[in-house]
Amino acid sequence: MKECKRINNDLVAFLYGELQDERQEFISSHLKECSSCQRKMERLRKVQKGADSLNEDIKTAMASVDWNALPAQITDTVFGKEVQEPKESWVVNISRILFQPKLRPVYAALLIGVFLGALLTYVFVRSPFQRKTTADLISYPPDFIEKVELEMARRETLDYLKKSQYLILDFVQTSAEKEPSSWQRKFASQKVKDLLSKKKYINQQLNKFKMAKAKEICNQIEFLFYELAQMNDEIPAWRLQEIHNFIEEKQLLLKIKLLEKELKQSEKSEV
Amino acid sequence: MPRRTVEENRDVCALLERIKKDDREAFQELVSLYQKRIFLLAFSFFRNREDAMDIVQETFMRLYQKIHTFREGQNFQSWIFQVAKNLCIDHYRKNRSKRKEWASDQNIEEMNFSSQDRDDSHQAVDLKMIFSRCLEKLAEKQRTVFVLKHYNQLKYREIAQVLNISPGTVKSLHFKAVQNLRGLISPYLGRVQ
Repeated sequence: MKECKRINNDLVAFLYGELQDERQEFISSHLKECSSCQRKMERLRKVQKGADSLNEDIKTAMASVDWNALPAQITDTVFGKEVQEPKESWVVNISRILFQPKLRPVYAALLIGVFLGALLTYVFVRSPFQRKTTADLISYPPDFIEKVELEMARRETLDYLKKSQYLILDFVQTSAEKEPSSWQRKFASQKVKDLLSKKKYINQQLNKFKMAKAKEICNQIEFLFYELAQMNDEIPAWRLQEIHNFIEEKQLLLKIKLLEKELKQSEKSEV
Repeated sequence: MPRRTVEENRDVCALLERIKKDDREAFQELVSLYQKRIFLLAFSFFRNREDAMDIVQETFMRLYQKIHTFREGQNFQSWIFQVAKNLCIDHYRKNRSKRKEWASDQNIEEMNFSSQDRDDSHQAVDLKMIFSRCLEKLAEKQRTVFVLKHYNQLKYREIAQVLNISPGTVKSLHFKAVQNLRGLISPYLGRVQ
């Protein structure tokens, strides 16, 4: 049995005459005695017969070719192609380097990167879904700013009137009792200059909100302050009297009080 | 190496030297020498004349392009068979889907094997078709070895050179190929005598 197993491995090589003469003869004599190996050999011969069945096709195909003409034909094709092969231009060579299959993933990645970049830019910068700023989150009624400005103008005017009132009262009292030099210093001081410059600022506000009455009083106060700021030691008594008369005639202090009251009331009513 | 092969190889080397200098006649002579062997190899692979002719032409074109890679002392027949075999495998892989379609159109199981009504010529056609399909079902290396051995009648040693494997491996692949073919065709052998 062991012998048969070893022979079995060599049966195909035996069938095709690939074994050395000695081994070939040994298997040949074994086959005469062993019916089991004979059966196996028979089955292998059938395979060989099956393979031989294609031989006829091979013969027919071989007969159909003009073997005398074929070499010349192939030679013409090979040499013809070699001669005709045109030299490639540098453009073709460069494009071949640029578009070689190895670089395709790189181009694809670049393309995807550009696309994603464009998409993200659109989403975060241009789109209606962009993140809202703090200013966008707070919404104002349309007349809100105007109201705030009016209120600020009113307060500025009230502040101006109050400070002016104190200074005028100061002038009325001190000019009668003390030497001119003492109150002149006061009126040439920074306070008056501040009030004059403040008047320039509130002028715009008064014009804007059409506060004509307040503007008229403020103009009279401004005129008075200009006069007082320009005074010197040698001011004649009649000039001083004129200024006093001006304050009394125009009833400046009273008008200031009334205007203050009016402004405060309008503030309350609006609130 | 047998004496005849050595002499043939020496002649071929002389031809190759001339071909390197663009000698058309030498090339034509070389084609005459090997055209039938290449055709036989390709035809056994595809069992189709047109495919085989394409392979013959393609092999000699490739030979001309790669002639400088052939080293002196190498077996030329093994070298050119290697080129042809590679082309056959490439061609086979490219057209595998077409072959599958064709094979599915004519299934072995659907063939009419009523042997009593059929004469000898019909039975021969049946056996040819069955064997053809069975050969198709073999693994690529087994099929190549079988074709080179059975139809091209190369020795194991020569096949080993073509396939770049050892003669022992060739023997083993050939054994497996025949065994597998036996297993594949045995169900039909009873029907086709």
